[in-house]
Amino acid sequence: MNSTRIAARAESASKIYGSGENEVRALDNVSVSFERGKFSAIMGPSGSGKSTLMHCIAGLDSLTQGKVFIGETDLSELSDKEITKLRREKVGFVFQSFNLIPTLSAYENITLPLSLGKKSGDEAWIKQVIDTISLNDRLEHRPSELSGGQQQRVAVARALATQPEIIFADEPTGNLDSKSGSDILKFMRRAVTDLKQTILMVTHDAVSASYADRIVFLADGHVAGEMLEPTPEKVLDYLKHLGE
Amino acid sequence: MFRLSLKMTLARKGRLLLTSLAIILGTSFLSGTSIFSATINSTFDRLFTDIFREVDAYVRSTNSVDTGFGEQRASSPVSALETILKVSGVSAAVGDMQSYARVIGKDGKPLGEDQGPPTFGGIASSSAAGLWNVETGRLPVGPKEMMLDRATSEAGKFVIGDTVRVNALTGTREFSLVGIANYGDISSPGGATFALFDQPTASEFLLKPGFVDAFLVQGDGTLSDEELAKAINAKLLRSDKLETLTGAQITEETTSQIKKVLGFFTTFLTAFSFIALGVGCFVIYNVFSITAAQRQRESALLRALGASRRQVTNSLIIEAVIVGVLGSILGFIAGIGLSQALSALLNAIGLEIPTTGLTINTSAIVSTVLVGTVITTLSAILPALRSGRVPPLAAMRETALDTVTGLGRRVRIGVLFLVVGVVGLLAAANGAKVIFLGLGVLAVFAGVLVLGPAISRPVAMLLGKPISKIRGVTGVMSQQNAARNPKRTARTAAPVLIGVALVTAFTALAASIKGEIRETIGSSFRGDYALSVDSRGFGGIPTIITDKIDQLPEVATATGVGFIAAKVGDESPFILVFNPKTAKGLYDLEMIEGRQSSLGKNEILIEQDKSIKKKLPVGSSVQVTLIDGRTMQLKVAGTYKNAYGNYAVSRELFEGSTTPLFDSFVYISTVEGVSDENARKTISAISSDIGIGTLESRNEYIDSQAAQVNQILALIYGLLFLSVIIAIVGIIITLLLSVFERRHEIGLLRAVGMTRSQVRTMIRWESVITSLFGAVTGVLLGIVTGVVIVISLNESGIRGFTLPITSTIFILIGSFIIGVIAAVFPAWRATRTNIISSIASN
Repeated sequence: MNSTRIAARAESASKIYGSGENEVRALDNVSVSFERGKFSAIMGPSGSGKSTLMHCIAGLDSLTQGKVFIGETDLSELSDKEITKLRREKVGFVFQSFNLIPTLSAYENITLPLSLGKKSGDEAWIKQVIDTISLNDRLEHRPSELSGGQQQRVAVARALATQPEIIFADEPTGNLDSKSGSDILKFMRRAVTDLKQTILMVTHDAVSASYADRIVFLADGHVAGEMLEPTPEKVLDYLKHLGE
Repeated sequence: MFRLSLKMTLARKGRLLLTSLAIILGTSFLSGTSIFSATINSTFDRLFTDIFREVDAYVRSTNSVDTGFGEQRASSPVSALETILKVSGVSAAVGDMQSYARVIGKDGKPLGEDQGPPTFGGIASSSAAGLWNVETGRLPVGPKEMMLDRATSEAGKFVIGDTVRVNALTGTREFSLVGIANYGDISSPGGATFALFDQPTASEFLLKPGFVDAFLVQGDGTLSDEELAKAINAKLLRSDKLETLTGAQITEETTSQIKKVLGFFTTFLTAFSFIALGVGCFVIYNVFSITAAQRQRESALLRALGASRRQVTNSLIIEAVIVGVLGSILGFIAGIGLSQALSALLNAIGLEIPTTGLTINTSAIVSTVLVGTVITTLSAILPALRSGRVPPLAAMRETALDTVTGLGRRVRIGVLFLVVGVVGLLAAANGAKVIFLGLGVLAVFAGVLVLGPAISRPVAMLLGKPISKIRGVTGVMSQQNAARNPKRTARTAAPVLIGVALVTAFTALAASIKGEIRETIGSSFRGDYALSVDSRGFGGIPTIITDKIDQLPEVATATGVGFIAAKVGDESPFILVFNPKTAKGLYDLEMIEGRQSSLGKNEILIEQDKSIKKKLPVGSSVQVTLIDGRTMQLKVAGTYKNAYGNYAVSRELFEGSTTPLFDSFVYISTVEGVSDENARKTISAISSDIGIGTLESRNEYIDSQAAQVNQILALIYGLLFLSVIIAIVGIIITLLLSVFERRHEIGLLRAVGMTRSQVRTMIRWESVITSLFGAVTGVLLGIVTGVVIVISLNESGIRGFTLPITSTIFILIGSFIIGVIAAVFPAWRATRTNIISSIASN
């Protein structure tokens, strides 16, 4: 596989909590890579290690053993300061909740990673992103004046603003009604297809996962399998078998 | 419910600790002050009980003047001693003296300091009634011999056989040291120095031949002390004007006099401890308000599970009582340490008060714990009621930001307070009673504090503007965070506001007093040099030294100014004593009517306002009684406007009096053509010979006199320091709670690329904005208060208001630093926020 096509990967990644009898292997020797320009999803039941895997690849958490890379950068070799800078410049985040700073306006939230790095960013790009989320008239509003769906759209725009190597989305529709949820998913899909961005999403919802190009299934800290061009039916069917 | 509250209280150790910290600080000063007062009181009790241990009766003059700062009493004729000794029941009696005498060390410098413990001269006697025991050597006999107390002999490295120079009222003499003495079992009571002579030498050298201060009498055991005193009284000559007290009475009286003076001081300390407590109240109230808001979900859950409003409210109040008791007990313990710190502070600024041991009264413990618990509980009532009002549904909602509700009502109440305050201040400025000033200041403070939450948001936004410009989005977030909870910001800034306002007001007042001193001295003193002594009402520059300086060939004129207690009409003030013959062109009272230089022996000058107030115009006469009991009618010969005393008399008035007369200042003009070096050399040859006084040029003297205000200012700063500490702790606590409350936000910021140092910057500037909000409003309030105090004290001699610009700048810089310091720990905590748990957990 050509390495320049890989946005992020894990090599023999293990994450162990506790020791001895209480030892919990959240990740057990996981090797997986995610392609640039694709919408990937990680699925698995609660406790399968899907969130841990994402946190470790994103540099929010550190591995017990193994390595993770963003592009060609080995995160295990970086200091906290360097990882912070990497998160700011090469990585975008969309969380389930607590996505926005309540004291900043929608626009300030979108440009936050750029402002933190004292960069102005690519203005044409930011304008394009904002146009895509169609929140032009609400940019000066505070998060508390936006609906849940609008807040998540701002969060996705923020993740896109720096044109990162990869965007991590952790259950981005978990707190939304199905209409707003599907809006966000469509919007993420468009970011990948039209804007050539890379997204890695963690979800346990088959419908959400079906928006992805590829799904990696995790169970008990292992990669249990993967699926290309998923549909909700195929995913549900697979999950049914995975449970057996 | 009580068990549940107890459990919930103990489960939150961090919150418990923070709340207790505020209470500990608030109450520690209170307990520190009461322990300190009790300790000085018992020290003096013990000291005087020791001193008068062997004394069964005490004979003294009936003539005295009580100025309100201690009593001054006339001397007694030695001739009465024989009468006393003849009284049956008396086994021994001896003259006692505690006059001014200063031992000059081998290096030519006097022992003891101008502002230190007193330097005494006294009588050494073989009589069993005497207080001194010979340790080595023998008693002094005749005009050439003396004895020293052991501590002084050691300090001066004097041994028996040495020649010792001593300065006293009648000049400087040399004596041969023949003995070393102990005072009972003590080597030197209270750090004072003692030079001891036989009675005739002591009287002649220290006071006046044939006179002593009083007599100490010992009984033979046949009579009770009361009977002994009565028997002596019956035999005393009426013309001698003497009275007899029992040993217990004189101990009691001396102690209570000292306590009265110390009483002013402890009241002063207590006032500052209540300021600290008030400041602490704000911190406690703030902590309860924030934690009540943070536990809103917990309260709502309790309500949803069936707890009544009352139960939810009570659970918070129970928590407050528990924390209050705990905190005040710890505060009391901290107060023990603080009482030592108070002693150290007073020593450091030169107000030495002897304290031995540590006296802790049960009442001090009880009152501290009671006050601490009550204020804690009161501070918790409002937040507790608010908690009770939380609807059960809030359990399901996100924690809401706290918003200012009823802004209109708040503004109305605040403005009402302000108006009342301003009316009070205006009344005070126009001559109403001082109480109006106090209430006015209080009402203005209350008004500002009530208005705080209404103005904190705009002011914080304004103060944060430059920071958001410099620091970009990090600064914007600091600015927004400082402004997002206006109530919280206002409550956090309130202790800073109070502290800064008081510091500013006192600094402004001090600057005005300094300005006034400069002007008063500047316009009254016209000479080239001044010799001054800060004697605290004991001793000074003997007038014969003044005359000696006057006679120097290099000196054109030297004139002395002293102060002495006297009864004038119905008052007992210190009156100004000067020499009209030499004062001309050197010391100018700025006469309005009459002439200063022609003031006669039977005349008096009165300060103009006083003359109007007391209805004593020029030409009228007033009755004056001196300490020695001499009463005379003095004619008012003129009025003046510029001096420290309200009455001025000629020093001729004291000729032939047993009252020792000292000058506090000697003003000197030199003969033209005498060099500075030469003038200083010849004058200080005399002044250093007597071992006291500071010789300064006119400018130096004016500077140093004005700088005396700094000592009191330093004391006030020292006492306000604790309030400042409480303010800092208040900011720390608030920031810690805010950091905890915003952990999701901080986690998110870290996730999207905020570095640890940016997190620290964000918290630091929020802290600085909060602190500056308090400081800026405090400085404004302080200046207003200062102006009003100066205006209303106009009559007491302060005329102009001086704005202390540099001090104000320093105060603002100081508040900035306070903000930075207070942020250190909370900022560190914020950088330790775990990103995953604060974001992922919901």
